[in-house]
Amino acid sequence: MSDWKRENRHEADDREHGNRSHSASRWSHCRKRGVDGSLRTKRDTENSEKGHNNYKPDNRHDSFTTPEGAGPVSRCGRQTDWGSQVEEEEQLRKNVHRDMQRYRRRILGGDATQRERRASSGSSESCDSREGDNIETDEEVLLRRQKQINYGKNTLAYDRYIKEVPKHMRQPGVHPKTPNKFRKYSRRSWDQQIKLWKVKLHAWDPPAEEGGPEKTLEDRDELGLDDVMDIELDFPSLPNTQNVPVLLSTNNPSLEDDDCMGTPVKLQKTETPAAPDMS
Amino acid sequence: MENSSDDYRIQALDQDTQTLLKTALKDPSSVNLEKVSNIIMDQSLKDQVFSKEAGRICYTIVQAEAKQSNGSAFRRNLLNRLQQEFKDREETRERSLQEWVCYVTFICNVFDYLKVNNMPMVALVHPVFDCLMRLAQPDALMNEEEVDCLVLQLHRIGEQLEKMNVQRMDELFFLLRDGFLLQEGLTSMARLLLLEILEFRAGGWLLSGTAHKYYYSEIAD
Repeated sequence: MSDWKRENRHEADDREHGNRSHSASRWSHCRKRGVDGSLRTKRDTENSEKGHNNYKPDNRHDSFTTPEGAGPVSRCGRQTDWGSQVEEEEQLRKNVHRDMQRYRRRILGGDATQRERRASSGSSESCDSREGDNIETDEEVLLRRQKQINYGKNTLAYDRYIKEVPKHMRQPGVHPKTPNKFRKYSRRSWDQQIKLWKVKLHAWDPPAEEGGPEKTLEDRDELGLDDVMDIELDFPSLPNTQNVPVLLSTNNPSLEDDDCMGTPVKLQKTETPAAPDMS
Repeated sequence: MENSSDDYRIQALDQDTQTLLKTALKDPSSVNLEKVSNIIMDQSLKDQVFSKEAGRICYTIVQAEAKQSNGSAFRRNLLNRLQQEFKDREETRERSLQEWVCYVTFICNVFDYLKVNNMPMVALVHPVFDCLMRLAQPDALMNEEEVDCLVLQLHRIGEQLEKMNVQRMDELFFLLRDGFLLQEGLTSMARLLLLEILEFRAGGWLLSGTAHKYYYSEIAD
């Protein structure tokens, strides 16, 4: 790579044993300007406030141990050995790839068959078929979304939900609906959808002592609404008024509107520019 | 061409080991892949030239195993061994700078060569950053061997690493700037290496023509 480094290595090695302070003279014969020219003489006083913790030579144990495990770790996988981590990652990527191909095939299947299938299968994603080009293809985004979905699905509440409410019984706006990871959404919109979805799933949390999941639909809705309001506090910029009416119209016939439920951000940002293309 | 290069690297090993590795490259299911991964790891720790190219051997074995049996035992063993060495890295560094530098070279080379669906392995991102951060600490910057290793790795995988985690790359470069500007007793060679890598990243992981001329013109002289 850098031949000159090797060329001059022996020269530098010599200096290792000798005087380490600014002996630029040996360099200056082949450099166009002296190295010392750019050094600050008052560096200690001048920059003390700028220094990092890491910059104390005695403190190095802190500095090289802290980064370990500080980063985001997959919450779904509990494996800690690298071999398993990579295998999980590989599997996740494969699945995302496979899902994407299925999704594309379904979309390309055409509208007529699509409607029939929608009625019969009630698949959680089929209502988005009108999107032709509006597909999220960025693998990293899909992977991130899949992890979030897995995290929500990897709960007792989700198991209870899918057991108690068969697919054909699920009503838009009433029951939680897994966000469609293949549609283009802003990051914020997506995260919001995930939050709302998880809030709704909590209605199926295992019973603490009594009560349990045998709530009426109204109860569930109220719970959902309360929690939505809580979440709204995290997004102070979102106008509350916009969210509430959409949520209350639970028997909205339009599936697309259902999809927008609780995601006013998407309404504003993604849908509007996309609309001209659709019509 | 790739094979001949692999062959060349393998020459450094004894005859039995050579045979084992060559078999692993051609017919991975017929050998003990855990043993093979250990041999590659051990050799990498001893031999700096080997550690720079061992990633490619690993890549070839991984591909061969996946093709032959759809398996990944070799990769699993290799990664777990890498992890084991990673845990002991500070002791390694205390014991032998050369071994430590070889380890970093090898893990970076594996990061560079082994991909999952054409993407770097997420599991290695933080460990690789941890190693490079360690090389950027003041005591390590005093050793040209470590500085040289650090900048070489950044030349090779810096761009990919940054894509995986910009924030940590920023942290690393804070250390490098501090080292370049503030640290007393750095050799001018180390400073030069640091300056070059700072410019390299600042130019979008490319050296401008003039910068290249500045850093590399000596070859012509």
